[in-house]
Amino acid sequence: MRMKWRVHVENYGFLLPSFLLTAVLGIYPIFWAMRYMFYDYKGYGDMIYIGFDNFTRLWGDELFWEAVRNTIVYAGGKIAITIPLSLIIAVILDRGLKGRNFLRALYFMPTVISTAVIAVVFFIIFNSYNGLLNQFLLKNRLISGAIDWLGPDYAMLTVIILAVWGAIGNYMLLFLAGLQSIPGDLYESAEIDGASAIQKFWKITVPMLGPVMQMIIMLAITVSLKGYESIMVLTEGGPVGKTEVMYLYVYKLLFPVSTGSAMIQEIGYGSAVGFATAIIVGVITGFYFMLSRRLNKIY
Amino acid sequence: MNGMGKWVSRGILWLFLLIIALFTVFPVLMTILGSFKSNLELASGATIWPKEWHFSNYAEAWKQANFSTYTWNSLFVSVASTVGTLIVASMAGYVVDRRNFIGKRFFVVMQASTMFISIGAVVLRPQFELMVDIRLNQSLWGVVFILISAHATTFFILMGFFKAIPRDVDEAAMIDGCSFMGIYWRMILPLLKPGLGVTALFAFRNAWNEYILPLVFTMNTPKLQTLTVGLTNLRYGSGAAMQTHLMMAGACLSMLPILVVYFFANRSFMQVTAGSVKG
Amino acid sequence: MKKLSAALSAVTLSALLLSACSGNNNGANEPSAAAPNAQSSDKAPESAPADKGPKTKLVFWTFDRHDNEYIKERVDNYNKTNQDNIEVEVTAMTENYVQSVDIAFASKQAPDILRPNQDTTIPFVKKGYLEPLDGYLTEEMKTKFGPTIQDQANQFDGKIYTLPNFGYTLRLVYNKDLFAKAGIANPPTTLAEMVDAAKKITEAGKADGQYGFALNFKAPKSALDRSAREILQLSGIDGFGYDIRTGKFDFSGFKPVIDAFKQMRDDGSMLPGVESLDIDPLRAQFAQGKIGMYLSYSAEPGVYQNQFPTEINWGAAQAPSIDGNIKGAAGFANSGQWLAISSQSEKKDAAWKFLTYMYSDELLKDYHEKGYGLSAVPSIAAQANTPAINGVEGFLLTQYDALWPLPPTVTVQGLNYGDAFFKYVLSGGSLDDIVADLNKRYNEALDKAVAAGETKAVVDPGFDPAKLQGTMLTK
Repeated sequence: MRMKWRVHVENYGFLLPSFLLTAVLGIYPIFWAMRYMFYDYKGYGDMIYIGFDNFTRLWGDELFWEAVRNTIVYAGGKIAITIPLSLIIAVILDRGLKGRNFLRALYFMPTVISTAVIAVVFFIIFNSYNGLLNQFLLKNRLISGAIDWLGPDYAMLTVIILAVWGAIGNYMLLFLAGLQSIPGDLYESAEIDGASAIQKFWKITVPMLGPVMQMIIMLAITVSLKGYESIMVLTEGGPVGKTEVMYLYVYKLLFPVSTGSAMIQEIGYGSAVGFATAIIVGVITGFYFMLSRRLNKIY
Repeated sequence: MNGMGKWVSRGILWLFLLIIALFTVFPVLMTILGSFKSNLELASGATIWPKEWHFSNYAEAWKQANFSTYTWNSLFVSVASTVGTLIVASMAGYVVDRRNFIGKRFFVVMQASTMFISIGAVVLRPQFELMVDIRLNQSLWGVVFILISAHATTFFILMGFFKAIPRDVDEAAMIDGCSFMGIYWRMILPLLKPGLGVTALFAFRNAWNEYILPLVFTMNTPKLQTLTVGLTNLRYGSGAAMQTHLMMAGACLSMLPILVVYFFANRSFMQVTAGSVKG
Repeated sequence: MKKLSAALSAVTLSALLLSACSGNNNGANEPSAAAPNAQSSDKAPESAPADKGPKTKLVFWTFDRHDNEYIKERVDNYNKTNQDNIEVEVTAMTENYVQSVDIAFASKQAPDILRPNQDTTIPFVKKGYLEPLDGYLTEEMKTKFGPTIQDQANQFDGKIYTLPNFGYTLRLVYNKDLFAKAGIANPPTTLAEMVDAAKKITEAGKADGQYGFALNFKAPKSALDRSAREILQLSGIDGFGYDIRTGKFDFSGFKPVIDAFKQMRDDGSMLPGVESLDIDPLRAQFAQGKIGMYLSYSAEPGVYQNQFPTEINWGAAQAPSIDGNIKGAAGFANSGQWLAISSQSEKKDAAWKFLTYMYSDELLKDYHEKGYGLSAVPSIAAQANTPAINGVEGFLLTQYDALWPLPPTVTVQGLNYGDAFFKYVLSGGSLDDIVADLNKRYNEALDKAVAAGETKAVVDPGFDPAKLQGTMLTK
């Protein structure tokens, strides 16, 4: 019995700092902010209780659903390129290769530059009037006319490229850290058996990386579905809403910037959209989590 | 495998690495080169090399963003919150992975749910009012606590790494008479080094780049401002256009501390067995 | 609240206790005790200064950066010279100014003096942040600032909350060299002339990468607010779509302007990639001589003087009107607000003393002459010298600049008119349908806001925009 009591103390004692901090500074503020979703509230004046009206409006809000579709394309594109690419890079740079520390540092560099600065640089590279990319492609006759990389047709591709560029370094490091837990002798014995690099990758690396990989992909999903800062500075969601993503839409409702006419925050509706967005992110992440757990059991 | 094939595959490998290097480094290079350009040249685009090297951008950015004082505040916030985040998240991650107890599922869902909300500025006000209650509203400790509280990502990443440490380690140590605390501290944490290294780097970078929290907490105490607050002010100067050139110089300077932390973190996932696999 | 904060201290405690069990080797991990901490006692506004002499400390927050050095200098000067033992501390915040103000007021940490602007005055007044100044204003001041006192700008329900200092006129900015190269003698005065000039400039200069026209369409609403707005206002139509004569929104007046923009884009007379163009890259291309003309605020001369130095021969002219008939006056933008006193301040009298210094003739005149902004106080503008900035001449107040009645503030569901019109410029469609849809949504929002008592739909059937002419000049 005494033993049992001690175990409880250990368990909850270890959990306590995390629990209290999360509850007080993480969860409570979310509820504080979310209560507005049942109100019509503009940041001043009366808060008018309107029940589920904000959600009825949300249901018919084409701009939001367009943002949802854009987000899925954006997050899907980003993950589909980033995860395999950074895993391959991590495996290559894990061991053996000469100069790998130098390359790791190079690949990591993009993640330390501030978003605002990067938007300026990407504009210099991608703008259609005198962008470096168009100059290069035109000079080498790879294209016949300037491509409008930030125009309605290509803007989504460009923001995905920006996202991938900013993410590869992070996921490479996470995978590298995960690779450290794979015992080196596994590879050595496989080599003695004459396994090729590709065989080693599928037979040892991927299965052994399982739990870490599951967390990394989960992280990638939530992060990409949530991301909006780099889009905000590069395209502001434009042109004509082509790169508007969910949280950017929420941000604009809560912190509108406009010139010439008064600025009105839509705190009530913004909170409702924010809540719906969080649910969407949560459901997709949860769905992945279940699926990956099932897959893990099969292994 | 014949020699020829090996050379071809080597060549493809290096070509791949080179292309990725070009892709990642070119914008970085443009940032560094851009930090030496004039504001007009930057806003006009079209050039790679500065027409004229404006070294004065750095001196100006250093002065205007108050680097010499603000750097220390930034370092304090980043180091304190990184250490705090690692301790809090690794303790929680350890029990959640190793033990079963009532409320475990609730705890994990609670952690996860904080990750789905994205806009920090929304929850700023209740957080600040809490800090006013405990009189930390004019202290950088308030910022540190809030940064530590956002440790869900670290928690989940570390969970992945805990799972990868075999449970035999715990059991063997238990038999040797180590306490739960002792196992965590002496056995598990050292094995967790790669995971701790990478999450420490991310936590440090997050804290280093955090803008709105230090802004609000130093509203009435400008001496405590952090570097990001100073850097953001660089964007606007005496005129209606952005001072992009100073912003770039400032950004290049403020990258350096993160790179230093990176080199330490990188050591935690350098293969100890490096060199044993020649190929 | 109390319980939560108790919980928070428990976190600290438990973290310390738990780490203590692990032995003493983690002392090095603890944040150093010498770390910077708050010197909260001497900065908190409410703490009574018990030390040497009763110095009254005032906190002053602004978001203006363009005049930061100048304001600091003047405040320092005030701190040294004032006889009332007042000391003012200025903080210039740029981004998240509004959020900081909100949080400060919610937690009773507000500054004594703050800077509202055209976007924030209404929310600030409605949230009760600002103190009415009527009790402090002398008759002389009321006459001095009278011409720039306006409902919904700085006056609400008959109470004045802030006073004007400077504002922005709106003009067509054009490259004289490119106009000459294309054989055009004068800047356009009608939309048709503008479209034509843009086409000719492009034809003459395209080979050198020169285009006739550009606007910062990365933010469509901001682009229209600096272009369509004054074209319409000069033509006697409200620049934000509100018809004060009927008390309704009616965007049909925008049609010729939007069609002209679309025509220029279809002609290929706009700089390629305008849809992602921000104002600074636009200015940079203009400074490089690549853009024939654009429309903007009077901030431009300062930019080309200090930030984007240019060799080109440029000038500013009155914006074109729809058909050349001037039936109104271009808006004098953002001119109503400058400084205000916090309702939470405990030192309002001292704050007012500081404001009288900031609003003194000498300072306002100096501000105008040094080129930080065109004075919005007619008596100051009349006696001050022309600001010492190249190109400012074209921006000075004329009889065709005036304060327009402000449109009611509404929250519209769906696309704002800037985005909706720009979508048409890019991809076409039916402009009539777009206008009908905008009218419907904006008027619905207006009805709702009026019903909720949030705003008033001012109706003035006899409003004559032509009568606005000359109101900003002292006779």
